[in-house]
Amino acid sequence: MKPLDPRLLRFARPARGYILLVTATGTATAALVVAQALLVAAALAPVVSSGASLEDVAGPLRWLLLVVVLRAVVHGVQERYAHRAAARVIMDLRAQLVARAARLGPRWSASGRGTDVVTLATRGLDDLAPYLVRYLPQLLLAVTVTPATLLVVLGLDWISAAIIAATIPLVPIFMILVGQMTQSTSQRRLAVMERLGAQSLDLLAGLPTLRAFGREHGPATRVRDLGEAYTRSTMGTLRVAFLSGMVLELLTTLSVALVAVGVGLRLVHGDVGLEPALAVLVLAPEVYQPLRQIGVHFHASLDGITAAQKAFDVLEVEPPAAGTLPAPDLRHAEIRLEGVGVDAPGRGVRAPAGLTCTIRPGRIVALVGPSGAGKTTAVLVLLGLLTPEVGGVSVGGLPLTDIAPASWREQIAWLPQRTALPPGTIRSALGGRGPHGGALLDGSRAGTDAEERLRTVARLTGLDDVLRTLPAGLDSVIGHGGVGLSVGQRQRVALTAALLGTEQLVVLDEPTAHLDALSETQVLDSVRALRDAGRTVVLVAHRASLVAVADDVVTVRSEATVEPSSPARDRAVVHS
Amino acid sequence: MRQDPLWRAVALLGVSWRRAALAVLLGVLALGSAIALAAVSAWLIARASQMPPVLTLSVATVAVRTFGISRGVLRYLERLASHTIALRGMATLRTRIYESLAVGRLESVASLRRGDLLARVGADVDSVGDVVVRGLLPAAVAAVLAVASTLLVGTLHPGAAAALALCLVLAGVVAPWLAAVGARSTEADGSAARADMASLAQEIVDDAAVLTVSGHLDERLAALRAADRRLAASTDRGARTSGVASALGNLAVGAAVLGALLLAVPAVASGTLAPVELAVVVLTPLAAFEALQVLPAAAIQISRSRQAAIRVVALLDSADTHPASLADAPTPVAVDDGEHEGHLVASALTCGWPGREPVVSDLHLTVHPGQAVAVVGPSGTGKTTLLMTLAGLLPPVDGTLLLDGTPLGSLPRATVAATAALTTEDAHVFDTSVLENLRVARGTTTEDEAAAALSLAGLDAWLAALPDGVHTQLGPDARTVSGGERRRLLVARALCSAAPVLLVDEPGEHLDPATADALVTDLLALRDSTEPRGLVLATHRLSALRTVDEIIVLDAGGVLARGTHDALLATCTAYRVSVEAESTQDPAAPSPTTVPCSRTT
Repeated sequence: MKPLDPRLLRFARPARGYILLVTATGTATAALVVAQALLVAAALAPVVSSGASLEDVAGPLRWLLLVVVLRAVVHGVQERYAHRAAARVIMDLRAQLVARAARLGPRWSASGRGTDVVTLATRGLDDLAPYLVRYLPQLLLAVTVTPATLLVVLGLDWISAAIIAATIPLVPIFMILVGQMTQSTSQRRLAVMERLGAQSLDLLAGLPTLRAFGREHGPATRVRDLGEAYTRSTMGTLRVAFLSGMVLELLTTLSVALVAVGVGLRLVHGDVGLEPALAVLVLAPEVYQPLRQIGVHFHASLDGITAAQKAFDVLEVEPPAAGTLPAPDLRHAEIRLEGVGVDAPGRGVRAPAGLTCTIRPGRIVALVGPSGAGKTTAVLVLLGLLTPEVGGVSVGGLPLTDIAPASWREQIAWLPQRTALPPGTIRSALGGRGPHGGALLDGSRAGTDAEERLRTVARLTGLDDVLRTLPAGLDSVIGHGGVGLSVGQRQRVALTAALLGTEQLVVLDEPTAHLDALSETQVLDSVRALRDAGRTVVLVAHRASLVAVADDVVTVRSEATVEPSSPARDRAVVHS
Repeated sequence: MRQDPLWRAVALLGVSWRRAALAVLLGVLALGSAIALAAVSAWLIARASQMPPVLTLSVATVAVRTFGISRGVLRYLERLASHTIALRGMATLRTRIYESLAVGRLESVASLRRGDLLARVGADVDSVGDVVVRGLLPAAVAAVLAVASTLLVGTLHPGAAAALALCLVLAGVVAPWLAAVGARSTEADGSAARADMASLAQEIVDDAAVLTVSGHLDERLAALRAADRRLAASTDRGARTSGVASALGNLAVGAAVLGALLLAVPAVASGTLAPVELAVVVLTPLAAFEALQVLPAAAIQISRSRQAAIRVVALLDSADTHPASLADAPTPVAVDDGEHEGHLVASALTCGWPGREPVVSDLHLTVHPGQAVAVVGPSGTGKTTLLMTLAGLLPPVDGTLLLDGTPLGSLPRATVAATAALTTEDAHVFDTSVLENLRVARGTTTEDEAAAALSLAGLDAWLAALPDGVHTQLGPDARTVSGGERRRLLVARALCSAAPVLLVDEPGEHLDPATADALVTDLLALRDSTEPRGLVLATHRLSALRTVDEIIVLDAGGVLARGTHDALLATCTAYRVSVEAESTQDPAAPSPTTVPCSRTT
């Protein structure tokens, strides 16, 4: 573990200025610490040895007042700006981390790393604050105050300086030794923390299900066990981490004691004067103070460093390079999937396997096939969210990988199986179509036309029935994931939004799931309305009713990859 | 004090006060060693400068070395003691939260947002635990030591002791108070921003694909940065106060030394204070302030933990309010042997979520093992709410609900769950193995039983492709499982239940029509097995319901019609229209009994 990871300066810009500030305050503190010790000794010694009066020591006392005030000011400034810098560094890293995780695609986050990234972004990175606010300044003080005070002690009494100089190298040696022992345990602790977070959350999220089976009491033991595992693993780390603290305190306090005893005995023999002796007594603990503080904040900051390193590891995963060419206009260009195959992680299956089909403008294409054949995965490939292991997608002859994602996706509206609506009102979910949707409901120009169109579309999709049950109608607030609306109701909102939008390609993943036969008719009418408007529709369909409205039906198949199988040729069959 | 959420939450940690007292004692002895070391070495140096016989210093030299050793060792023991207390307390609190949510109101669990939930159980519990180690124990140690060092200096020079006491109050009370004020303003300003930040981060990572395609990703990332900027701004405002607090704490140390010099030097000149004692009076304060160094952080911790405690206590309180009919049940909980036949009778039943309009009213329903009832109707007519009421998860708004003649609400929850097991549409798939997911229904499910249930649910091919069979891990939120597989896994789970009555919400969802109908037919076959089950199915697919004993058609707020499939076809227009709509949309399946040719394998 490096005490200061250069990647921190590379990834977190606000950290750079902070290092400069810390260096400046560290240098000032070093000068003031030395001055304070010399002035206390200068004021004290004449009084103790010859009973000098207050007027005799007025000079050093005046200077002492100035030093005390200056030290407080430097301390306050350091503290005030440390918090600001820490908040900005954490903010900066968090934004980068979440953005990168989002860009790394659905497969990356489905493998469990998504949950980890959320824990890391919302909690783990906060551990950087103690590192930046407490640990880093002490690190700088260790390279300013410690040598400066040691030099002054050397000038005052070389034997004391020798004792201190002999013990100081032991401090970092022990710290490195103990640090190496702690590092692996600390990383384990972070892993345990994340696992505990994910598993407790999983159990709480599943509580309604557990309660439905009357099994809610069993997992309490599991939660307790998780807690005990956490306690055990943390205490294991702490026993070692605190050991480093103990060694440090033992070394530093004992050598201060030895310096005091040594100076005392040499005073008796007149080998050293009282004033330097007092100065050495005050300075000796100050030499060790930064090292001791490093020890105190060591284990707290270690979590911060480990969290930061995990963040850097994610930030160093490069997302697949995005294309730059503008996407062809989907009103005219054909989309072709050519032998697309995606390996399902950990399942020994390629789903879809050898999928070949053409999506022509203005047609309804249905993807059919048994559950788990890879229909949704095929959609992810089509959307450019997933790069297939074999085969590829081309648009109007251009490979999808060469096309700028934004220009591709602005022509697409996608309704996934589990519809997620943006938090806000239903109106904003319908109208807030983002940077490339039609500004249909912004109420500015042609506001009444837009409302009229919304009413027509809502009647078509059955959203008007949903709105009737909501007291606030269009202005009902829906939360993260559309809390308060059933899955089917959410789907109607999303379908209405798609109909109101202007995207040429509309991708519907099981749009009639969660709907009864009557509302299914509404969806089918909506799909037809989309085609009538000249738009292209790709459907993932189970129900024959949906397949029936399709112009082209594509069968998606999977194949096992564990056993060698015959080459998948013409696996996808296109009927017209 | 008992009402203070912090104390309520700390009490929930179940801390043993004997252990806490031991930790404080160890802390006092450890930091007391440091003060004693400073006082004795000051005396030693000053006395030595008078060049006395070396022998007169021997006690002091031994004492100095001893204090040099004891400090580190005692501090180590103190830290182990205090951290053990806190970590054990946190484990206890976490378990208590789970336990109370497990028996409390369903809505309090169901309505919590995931990001927020994570923040609550994780960070808040940690924060309440931290208050012991970083707040309460150090404060107790510092208080004891501050009094002790003031008394020590006071025996030598009362004036210097008064100055020291003043500076100790400045560093130990004023500075921490200011630091806490700064931190509190940060927390108060920042808590909303922090919650926004957490739920936005969760949303962006969860819904990354949807946001990317819809073009909302950059906008959500900007919202995250905005929430984070608000969070940073609140930190910045609080940092001004904590900067002042930090400066004051530092000033107090220098002021104590300066004050001691100004007051005690004339005392030496006037002969009321020995020169050697002056060194002790001036140099001891430097060490005495060490115990106070942690107090600003302690005060911040206490104020931060109080905010966390408020949330923890609120969460517990919200879960603690039992549904009215369960808490206020006039009859005492019936003595129950746990074995029930599963004769479920609802009369004039009205159901709905507490605090909302009832969705179904005046419903009569009877089901017993060997019988199947289907509840059909458009989305949003309350099919799921009805099933949750029948499962005893929601209290009936009105009417009676009897299980083998006893009101459902007066039976122990475990008995009801063992008799009527519900599988909801959005049931959770846990981040564990396939087998453990099935064992949610019944803990004793064997591997063979699991395989049989999966096969019955049409998952044998899926199971065969899994690398570790039923021991394959499914991953968080089962996102590697397709929608249809997830659906069937939930049905397989229902099949593993030993309950005589199964309540299944939308078993055929996400499946192609033929598979969906086959699955419903398989479920219906459970009526006639050696251990006959009673079934209540909520569905909006009607083709497979020909053999169901009774179909209840729900429409906005109540029962529209009821009867067998054939009777309803004859009498209920809406039902007939729906069935016809289903079959005309299924040209490949003109009749529900014919296996359509579109069935792909």
